[in-house]
This record gives sequence, structure tokens and C-alpha cells, in this order.
Amino acid sequence: MSRSTHNSSAAWCQQKDRLWLLIWISGLTVLGMWDAVFLNQPSFALLRTAFLNSTVAGVLVVGFSVVMGWSVGVSSYFLETRRPALYFPFTFLLNVVRSIPQIVGILVGYIVLTILIEQEVLRSQFSQLVWMAFVISMFVFLELVDLIRERIAHYNKLDFFQAMLCCGIKEGRIINREILWKNSRAHLLHKMISIFGITIFLQCSIDFIVSVGLSTDVSLSNFPVTLGGLLAKLDSKQDILAIGSSLSSMSNMQSLFFEHLQGVSIAFVIVFSLLCIYKISSGLVKRYHL
Amino acid sequence: MNDLHFDIQIATAERPLVDVRDFRIPLDRITFLFGESGIGKSLIARAVYGLLDPGEFRVKIDGKPYESYLERPETKAIKETSFYVFQEPSSHLNPLLPLAVQLGEGSLAKVPDNSHVIEEMWEGTTKKEIDSLLEVYPKPYRPSGGEKQRIFLIMALKKIDLMLERRHDIHRCLFVFDEPTGSLDNHFRNVFLSLLFKRFQQFRFTTLLITHDYSMVSEVARSHSSIADQVAFKELGLHRGHLSLKDFQPETYLGWLNQQQGTIASTSSREPAKPLLRVESGAEVFGQRLTISKDQEGKHSSPLEIGPGSMVYLKAPSGTGKTTLVKMMMGLIRGNKLRLMLDGMTLTEKTPRRFWQKRIWGKEMTMVFQHADEALNPRSTVTETFLGLPSTKPISRGDIRQTLGELYDFEITDEFLNKEVSTLSGGQKQRLNLLRSMFLNTDILILDEPLNGLDFESVTKVLAMIEQKQRAGKGILLISHNEEIFDALIPSEQIYYLHARPATQ
Repeated sequence: MSRSTHNSSAAWCQQKDRLWLLIWISGLTVLGMWDAVFLNQPSFALLRTAFLNSTVAGVLVVGFSVVMGWSVGVSSYFLETRRPALYFPFTFLLNVVRSIPQIVGILVGYIVLTILIEQEVLRSQFSQLVWMAFVISMFVFLELVDLIRERIAHYNKLDFFQAMLCCGIKEGRIINREILWKNSRAHLLHKMISIFGITIFLQCSIDFIVSVGLSTDVSLSNFPVTLGGLLAKLDSKQDILAIGSSLSSMSNMQSLFFEHLQGVSIAFVIVFSLLCIYKISSGLVKRYHL
Repeated sequence: MNDLHFDIQIATAERPLVDVRDFRIPLDRITFLFGESGIGKSLIARAVYGLLDPGEFRVKIDGKPYESYLERPETKAIKETSFYVFQEPSSHLNPLLPLAVQLGEGSLAKVPDNSHVIEEMWEGTTKKEIDSLLEVYPKPYRPSGGEKQRIFLIMALKKIDLMLERRHDIHRCLFVFDEPTGSLDNHFRNVFLSLLFKRFQQFRFTTLLITHDYSMVSEVARSHSSIADQVAFKELGLHRGHLSLKDFQPETYLGWLNQQQGTIASTSSREPAKPLLRVESGAEVFGQRLTISKDQEGKHSSPLEIGPGSMVYLKAPSGTGKTTLVKMMMGLIRGNKLRLMLDGMTLTEKTPRRFWQKRIWGKEMTMVFQHADEALNPRSTVTETFLGLPSTKPISRGDIRQTLGELYDFEITDEFLNKEVSTLSGGQKQRLNLLRSMFLNTDILILDEPLNGLDFESVTKVLAMIEQKQRAGKGILLISHNEEIFDALIPSEQIYYLHARPATQ
């Protein structure tokens, strides 16, 4: 009995996605236990909230990007093939969005959000998170549009696309179901993971830029706390600097895990989570032959 | 007479590929191996020849690991003394060496002079043209598929010549030809067979020739009857779920072919009052004018007409543009000067794509593409392949099961219906490819190489099904390399020839 249990758990762990999920949960649990003992309680509570908010924002950005990217990508294909007159202005509009540097676009979006928060239009933390995610996704979803157009263009040349057309199968079904759903899930999943990573990275960058004082009119104080926002705080920055100094003086290493725990924990959560999510997605692609 | 015989199991890490008991290759004979595509013929031949990578495949020969088979002296001897002509020659030519150099590489350098073989395989081409071809470095578009195939056949024939000189080694040889004539027309196929049989008559050696071309049976009976008893015909197939090798009686094919004479003629010889489809000759595409004619020389162009209940056969050498023309007819390729009349509608290259979508595809006309591998979505299941087809009522699993039952000779289980297309054998894919279009009730059915990769039993079933469609009043346009079969089936007045000439002429 115990042998069979052992075998089944070993088999469970042989799947890379499951193994990395276990590693991720274990790593965060160990970190949580460590922080619960050695990190001061207010910082620990902030860290937990920041992790939760960043994850929710990342997931929302991915969700928004998939919906926008899929619909815009497929629409642009149909406009190109069926309504060429509308395709030009549509592409022009997309290229205008594309031409705006992501960080600049999101910063402007954050300014608008700050004004809305100050005017108490956006009151709940969740609605603020949703709008933050929407602003970010406005500037990252084009990556999905490009991927979707690339996949359609690739399959467009192949016989199976033409053979299905000849059989009277609707083009919308061929594109949405046969090309994108059946043959591009792995590509889409990888892109979604990369969008999640980009979201965390952009949040950190924006929060950092704002924290060094882009404008006195803009303040992060009313925004929901995220990992980026927490990392941009002065004490976290000092913790990160301590990582650098511990590399030149190994005797400082020990203090990292007790005295500089906030910054080190945030940095670890960001890097470790991104690595694990990437590994989980690769494992899923392999397991389900996506 | 002794045979080489093996029990062979081949698998990947994910799934078993081949499990065949008592696979026999008669010694000192030429064995023609038939069987539907994807059933494992090439894999078995490569395993026997010692070409499989034990790191990629889990192979057992006679119950022992492949490594021990590779260490056997007779396996090593095969590699030294023999030659393997690969099915896909493109990936086996060195792009950094001109063809002439490759013809004289390794042991082939010891063959004194084989220019006559080269000339025979390029019959009708001047020496100057051959020499300029042999100076070519293999690139994607030059040499062509047929030229590459001829290069490999010449290499194999040179190796045979070499071994004929060393008579003491000839019994250790195993020459394998995997689909050696797939890119050649019947004339050059016969030239190759003559060259092979000529050498075989000098001294017997063991040869395995893998092919789907059943008309080789009649070529052997017609041109090489004196040594017909030295030739074995075998068919690899699934029998009650198990892969096995059976003798294939030439009479089975020859007798069947005899019976076919005129069967289609009786239904299609009626002169249709009004054609369902009329395609004008002279469409232009890729700088070529495609001329349709009823005479083989193409002196008098004529429109291609398909009436109700008629079967029309479009013939031309490989690469002329048969598939291109039918793709133009289907509105998939845009050229110039295309004009076809279909059910009162006139279609040209200017007809918008939306019109083809609304009125033609799957409603008036449908087409079966020649490579089932590429024409089906490998990620769809068997059931999903039928979903989305235009139909007046929802397509049920019962309808699909019934349709599949027409060409599959086993019970259509739920497991089979849920199988991914990528896991089917080549022959099963081809049958699915055909059935998807047959499921539709279009007036015009275009079949591009419908017998590709099928075993003999499936060939007969597919032909019966096509005939059934024809009897139901549908017009059928055929493109096929199986000239012998369709020449027998279709009356000469229903045969059209396609010629490509530069559009500027």
C-alpha cells in the first residue's frame, strides 16, 4: 500500500508542471514561514497584500490582453480579406498605440487613474486594480495581436486551411477553432506567461519611476500596494543595496535574511514566481502536447 | 529457398509503432512490398538495414535489443555491400557538393564508367544538358524531385554493378528501394525497372522494393515475365488488429484490372446534354498558359466539360500544373484568363472570394487535396474532422460512424472517433480525407490523387465509392498518377490533357 502510494506520488512529480507547482508553493510557504517569524508584522502584512494584488493584476492583464488580442487579431484578418478599405485606418490606429512606449503610455494612464482616485470615482481597491490592469493591457495586448496574425498567416498557406474552405467550413471556425484553439494554444500560453512577466516588470518600473518623484502631483499613496510599489519604497531599496554589498563582503550575507528581509523577500518572490510560472507552462505544453 | 526473417518491434518513448512477427525477405529475389502508407514499411526496412537510431527508437529484433542486431556480422555486411534509396531524396543529398561528385563518392568511385546508366535514366536529354545538370549543387528548387530520385537510383545501380563484379559478396547484399519511382512518370519508372532486372538476370541478389504503385505488377508481368518466378509480391497490412506480411497474388490485381475495363464507361459514356462545369482552356498563372486538349500532343485546345454522372480524367506529366489549375478552379489561386461556367454562373479570377465562400465551396463544388497529411488538421479528432461541414441538420456521431464504415473495414468505436488525426496511419488519413468531401453532396467533386497511400483493398473500395457518386449524377474530375487504373476505367473521350507553355507565346 505504502509502496503504491510512493510510486503514484513519484509519478505525479515526474510531470514537470506539477513538480514546479509543488516547488513554487513550497518555496512561497517556506518564505512565508520565515517572514512570519523574522519580518515585522506590518511589513509581512504589506508583503502578503502586495503579492496578492500583483498576482490579481497580472491575471487581469492577461485576461484583458487575451480578449482584446484575440478579437482585434481576428478582426484585423477579416478586415484585410473582406473590407480592405477599413483595414488601413484600423491598422493605422493599432500602429499609433504601438508607437507609444509602454512605460510612457502606462504612466499617463496612471495619472488619469490618480485623478479618478482623488476625485473618489474609483473607491474600492478592487476597482482600482481592475483599471490598473486595463491600462497596462492597453499597451501589451498588441503582442498577442501580432502572434495571432502570425499564426493565421502561417496556416493560411497550408493545405489544411484551403482544404477546409473547399469543404465549405466557415472561415471563422477554421481560424478560431482549428488554427488558434487547436494549433496555437502552446504559443498563446507562452505569450500569456510572458505578458504576466511583463506586467510584473512594468509595475515595478512604473512604481519605481513614480517613487523617485516624477511629479509632485502623482502619488502612489492611494494606489493598491503591489510588489513593484513595495520594492520602490525606501527601506526595500536599502535592502536591495544590501544584496549588492553582501556580494563584496560575505560577512554581511547573514544579515540579509534577518535585517533586510522585506526587500530580499520581494525580490525573491518576483524572480522565483516568474521562473516557476515559466516552468509550469512549459511542463503543461509538454504534457498535453499543445 | 532461405529467407531473411525477423520479429520486429519498434516504439518511441510515447507509443508503440510497429510490432510484426515473421517478417520475411526472400533471399536472391526481388520483393515488391505493398501496403497502405504509414503502416510501417519504411520503418521496418530501415530497422533491417540497421539505420534506426537506438536513442530515438526502442527497437527489438527477434526479441533482442537493437544494439545486438547492429553488432551482428551480417548487419555490418549489409551496410558495406548494399545501398538504400530513401523515399525522400531531398534530405539525403549533400548541398555542398555538385551532383556529379556525389555520384562518385565513397565506394561508388570504384565503378569505372557508368555514363550509360546516366544516359538511360535521362533518355531524351542531350549529353550537354545532362552534364550541366550534374554540375548543380542541390538546392530546394534544382534539381527537381524527379531528378533527385534519378540520381539516387543511379547511385544504387552503380553499387549493384560494383557488387556484381565482386560476386563473392553479392549474397551478403540487401538493396532497398523505398518508393523509388514516386516522382517519375511511368516511362522512366519502366526504364528503372528494366535496368534493375537486367542486372538481376546477370546474377541474383536480394532486393526489397517498397511501393504503392500496384501497376508495377502488370509491368513485371508484361515486360519481365521470363523471371517472374524470381519476383515476390507481398503486402503488409493489419489483419485482425495485428500487423502481418502476406503474399500478394499478382492475379488479384491483374484480374481485377481486367474486370474494370469499361465499367465506368457504361455509365459515363452517355453524352451529357448540358455540362455541369465547363472550364475554358488558356488560363494563365505563374507566367504559364495552361492549355487543355483532348489530344495528347495538345494541338487543338478544347474546354474541359463535366456532365452529370460523368467522370473526367485530367492527365499531364508531374509539375505541369494540374493541381494549380484545379486550385484556380476552386478560387484558391488567382491567375489570369480563368473562365468557368458552373450551374449557370460564370466565374473568373475577378469573382470575389466571398462569392466562392457563399455559393461554391462545399455547396456546388468540393475538392480532395492530394496529401492527406497536409489536408487534415492533425490536432482534430476523427469526429471533429466532420464537424462544421455545411449540412441541413446537425451532424451526429451516428452519421459520422455510418460514413466512416464505408471505407474502414473495422468497427468504428468511440475510441477511434476520439482519436487525433496525427495518430492515424497514412492510409487511414487518406480515407478520412476522401470521406470528408464525399460526405458533402456537391454536384462537382474534384479528386486530386485519390488513391495516394492506399492498399489494394482500399483502392477497390474508394473506386466503388467514386462510382457510386457518379451513378448518383455527380460530375467527377480526377487527377491521378495511377494511369493504368484510370485509363482502364475511363473512356478515352473523357480524358483531357494539360499542357503548360510560357504565357508570352
